[in-house]
Amino acid sequence: MNPLIRVEQVGKVFGEAPTQTVALRDVSLHISKGEFVAVMGPSGSGKSTLLHILGFLDDLSSGTYHFEGRDVSTYTPEEIARIRNEKLGFVFQAFNLLPRTSVLENVILPLRYSNVPEREWRDRATRAVQSVGLFHRLSAEPSTLSGGEKQRVAIARALVNNPSVIFADEPTGNLDSKSGQVVMEIIRRLNDEGHTVVLITHETYTAENAKRIIRLKDGVIESDALVTQRAAPETYNK
Amino acid sequence: MTLKHTIETAFAGLRTNRSRSALTILGIVIGITAIILVMSLGAGAQALILGQVQGLGTNTIAVIPGREPSGPSDVAQVFSDSLKEKDITALKSKFNVPHLASLMPILFGAETGVYGSNTYHLTIFGSSELIAEMFDLHPTEGFFFDENDVKARADSIVIGSKVRDQLFDGSEPLGEKVRIKDRNFRVVGVLPKTGGGSLFNFDEAVIMPYTTARDYVFGIKYYHRFIIQADSDKNVSSTAEDVRTTLRESHGIDDPAKDDFFVSTQEDLAARLGTITTALTWFLIAMASIALFVGGIGIMNIMLVSVTERTREIGLRKALGATERDILAQFLLEAVFLTAIGGLVGIILGTLLSFIISIALSVGLGVNWQFVFPISGALLGLVVSTLVGLVFGGYPARQASRKSPIEALRYE
Repeated sequence: MNPLIRVEQVGKVFGEAPTQTVALRDVSLHISKGEFVAVMGPSGSGKSTLLHILGFLDDLSSGTYHFEGRDVSTYTPEEIARIRNEKLGFVFQAFNLLPRTSVLENVILPLRYSNVPEREWRDRATRAVQSVGLFHRLSAEPSTLSGGEKQRVAIARALVNNPSVIFADEPTGNLDSKSGQVVMEIIRRLNDEGHTVVLITHETYTAENAKRIIRLKDGVIESDALVTQRAAPETYNK
Repeated sequence: MTLKHTIETAFAGLRTNRSRSALTILGIVIGITAIILVMSLGAGAQALILGQVQGLGTNTIAVIPGREPSGPSDVAQVFSDSLKEKDITALKSKFNVPHLASLMPILFGAETGVYGSNTYHLTIFGSSELIAEMFDLHPTEGFFFDENDVKARADSIVIGSKVRDQLFDGSEPLGEKVRIKDRNFRVVGVLPKTGGGSLFNFDEAVIMPYTTARDYVFGIKYYHRFIIQADSDKNVSSTAEDVRTTLRESHGIDDPAKDDFFVSTQEDLAARLGTITTALTWFLIAMASIALFVGGIGIMNIMLVSVTERTREIGLRKALGATERDILAQFLLEAVFLTAIGGLVGIILGTLLSFIISIALSVGLGVNWQFVFPISGALLGLVVSTLVGLVFGGYPARQASRKSPIEALRYE
């Protein structure tokens, strides 16, 4: 079976010579449907750049990227927007919720750019909010939420369109350990429900929620191994 | 994203920045208010002037001595003695001017009137009895002089309200004699106060038969005006032409360019005054447009700030599936909504202000000022304000749509 994500010899260079920085060099990896991959590495290792490329947020300087078997360079900007909307879900370290906009409206946002008929929006968004345990905060504005609650709203937003892959960029980076634990439990559950998850983190205990860990250093894959001893969900601790 | 949802998104964007949105549209509001105000008041002024001109009757034709003034330096009074008695005879002939219903010679000039120890500088108005009907002059006391008085060069005068106040100090003027140019004139009628609203101020005037004015006051053998009425509206222009031909013949003029008189119909006058007020209105609109332009630049500025400030939001929207077109449409619509709302507020404000001003003018000056809702101005205001949004919102919206999602999300 074709892997969901197939990256061959991908390189990413920022800036022009002679002041250019190489963020990624000759990175090759496959991710199959249903996997839970953690990408680890110190800052500057290129892990965020890799996630941006995988998430169609940035283009590559060299190499090839096949998503669902199709070469990404053949997609039009409109098709890319559609893929981001329908197939991918993003969870960011900084939450990125729209201020002064209710939880429900924040979660509806991706549906606004989709083909989902408007009459289904409320239901789908409500169900997504319910699944992260925030049903009672539906009409709250982000400024009144705690960090953990904000990230759970962001997760609800990421999964409202039922994407195949969820990209999480340091989702617990801005959270205390208790909230971080709740967030990681939700992400694990999403993976259990069949979503492919790509998680970026520099914390080993967070990465150990995944089934496979890829370590990056200086833009090169240092190691790529399955996790033998997954952290038990209830023992997640900072 | 459908248009409906783009509109909702744009509105939501404006709602979350309410006070800024309000301040941003201020420039547009002021610009559109000014335009509506100018157009409404311009239309009101035009209606007032035209109403007065047409009040004289659209079948009225004025014959004025001298060349038609073609510019401020042109001396119109060069041939000021060109309208003579023989012209009246010629014009009154059915053979020359078949559709002439009446002809009224007019003489006017400033003189001093004396009653007892009071003196007053008044305007002498020599005319026939027809002036009463033409200008709607009805004495509150006494009566107007009649046809026979005109024939007999009677010493009967009708006085304006201010003449009465100045000369008579509240005593009864009817039957009293006013001294003008060493002759006594008997007051037969007193006019009510007409106010400053009409073309001629009869309050300061003394009206007498033109024969009397000609022979006993001014001592001249010519007239200052002929006021001619055609028998119907549709014969006005042909009658005006007949008057020209007859006068040229009477004055021995072959070349119309050498006319020593000019003929003006009420229609001509109305059209000319209309042109002047319209030109003035457009000039003021051009001035007000500067405010709109400045307002537009203000919108552009704020939109640019807003785009920079909302870089993160733009990146997020793109990451969630927004296309460049979605973002462009969102920011463009925000700008257009801002300006259109500004335009609407301006239209309402301008209409209100002009309504208040028209009431103030009616009450304060006693003129019959009609409030006119400028429909064309309102439409123009809406179109212009929307265009301002499109033009000045275009650049910021383009900037927003081109942001790369990753640059945008990284932005702190």
